[in-house]
Amino acid sequence: MIEVKNLNKVFKVHKKEPGFIGSVKSLVKRSYIHKQALDNFSLNIAQGEIIGLIGSNGAGKTTLTKILSGIIHPSSGDVSVMGFNPWKRENSYRSKMSVIMGQKAQLWWDLPAMDGFLLLKEIYQIPHRDFYDSIEYFAHVLNIKEQLNIQVRRLSLGERMKVELMAALLHKPKVIFMDEPTIGLDLSAQKAVRNFIKEYRKAHNPTMILTSHYMDDIEELCPRICILKEGKGIYDGSLIKLHNKYAQNKLIKAHINNREELHQLKDSFPKQLGILEFDSRQVSIHTPRDKAMEAAKFLLEHCEVLDMNIKEQEIGDVIEKIMNQKDPL
Amino acid sequence: MKNWSVQVFFMELRQLITYRADFWINFFGQTFISLTIAYFLWDSIFLSAQTKVMNGFTIQGMIFYYLCVPLIFRVQQGQGIGFISREIYDGGLNKYLLYPIDIFKYKTATYLANATFFLLQLFFLILVYNIFFYDPNVYSFSLLAGIKFLILLVIASLSFFYLFLCCELMAFWFDNIWSLGVILRFITSFFGGALIPLAFFPNWAQEILRLTPFPYLIDFPMKALLNQLDTHQFLINTTISIIWMIMFRFLALSIWKRGQYAYTGVGI
Repeated sequence: MIEVKNLNKVFKVHKKEPGFIGSVKSLVKRSYIHKQALDNFSLNIAQGEIIGLIGSNGAGKTTLTKILSGIIHPSSGDVSVMGFNPWKRENSYRSKMSVIMGQKAQLWWDLPAMDGFLLLKEIYQIPHRDFYDSIEYFAHVLNIKEQLNIQVRRLSLGERMKVELMAALLHKPKVIFMDEPTIGLDLSAQKAVRNFIKEYRKAHNPTMILTSHYMDDIEELCPRICILKEGKGIYDGSLIKLHNKYAQNKLIKAHINNREELHQLKDSFPKQLGILEFDSRQVSIHTPRDKAMEAAKFLLEHCEVLDMNIKEQEIGDVIEKIMNQKDPL
Repeated sequence: MKNWSVQVFFMELRQLITYRADFWINFFGQTFISLTIAYFLWDSIFLSAQTKVMNGFTIQGMIFYYLCVPLIFRVQQGQGIGFISREIYDGGLNKYLLYPIDIFKYKTATYLANATFFLLQLFFLILVYNIFFYDPNVYSFSLLAGIKFLILLVIASLSFFYLFLCCELMAFWFDNIWSLGVILRFITSFFGGALIPLAFFPNWAQEILRLTPFPYLIDFPMKALLNQLDTHQFLINTTISIIWMIMFRFLALSIWKRGQYAYTGVGI
């Protein structure tokens, strides 16, 4: 469905020295740097699959989304989405895909969302019945019915994101690019958006690329992820496999009844079983995965444990570690 | 026009009317200011020249000229025309590239809505003038003159739109092209006859200006309204106006095609 081969994108960026003198100098002579946003990047996504695109700021995620949706041209490389070359911007391609950008409003700011939807109905030639059925369904699921006739600029950020989602999905696209759809939203709005995406996927099975800095989005929605670092794809595969392979530690948290035992633990706990952190009567142990059982056993044998749980290392920590390491995976 | 472009047209009109305070301030403020300046300026010029007619204009004719010209200029300038460079600058252009539409048609529809908005104000003004102040010595109103005026104005507006679009699309390469827009606006208003009627220019300058697109923007439509263009002159002017419009459209399309490669859509 989506094939990306050896994709490169270089941006020529004006470099200005700071301060007034720098500004004056740039009036006469400008210096530029070439920023490699995508570096020989390749990716294949099957029909109906959803993939999470992860990377730090400036890693090239948004550039990739913009190239795949046809907004910008690449410097070199091949891309095929549903058999189309995106930057040729054929109407038959654009009517089958959609882009949701959390940081950029696509609806008309000064008009109620419904006015924007009616225009989209004409643009995408959505049949009358389908259009009103979709509006009814989306408004119900997103709980946004009352807000459809209010100027977009007067809506809260969460409401705005919901109407943006509606606008992007009214024509039932086969390919959807989502660039940080939950950015800036509170926890309940993030959850509502995620649940909506899940519901929509169940009903329509579109191919999706999701970019997000929120690991909850990725964990809940994307079984497969692709990690970008400085324009290069450094990991492409299952989220669970990545976790199993690179999550080296487990986290044991325990409540200890006796303060004396807690103090003794500082000295008696074997260093090879992990690192201890204390907070009041709670102890946290960052232990290697293969030593987790041994560490838990030691704790139970030496202390009166009121409560204990063993957690996997957070996926966000694992990914952060991968992104920060110098050697390639 | 396809259905969507009609909808874009009316949607833009609705947006313009949404802010009614701005609507009325814009209308009365502009008209009042330009009329006051024109009256005091030209009254003193006529007085110091000790004449009642200058280059075919009486003081009343001059007032009527300055009543109409600012609005004609606004019809052509539109209000949203300057947004394109800003959209290139801040990435707002993205959404138009995603929809299965011709962005040129979209922008033309929004431009025409803006033009219509000011055209309605202009018609209202001419109507009020004709009802309360009509003087056949100032200009002889006829329906045919009105139609000629409308035709020339529509073509001139589209010419201006494409000309200004060429300037706006420079934003693909230069981050800020605001000053370029100001210069273009000044040139078109000065050489088009918005600041001073072209009849006040020396004959040689008028001859040279006829070879440029500027008189076709304001001076000739205004002449049509004042019933100073016979059918032959009207046809010639219309033809030349259309040629300029096609040339500017072609130029704007070429710049657009090249500019797309330089577009970054903001953010990496």
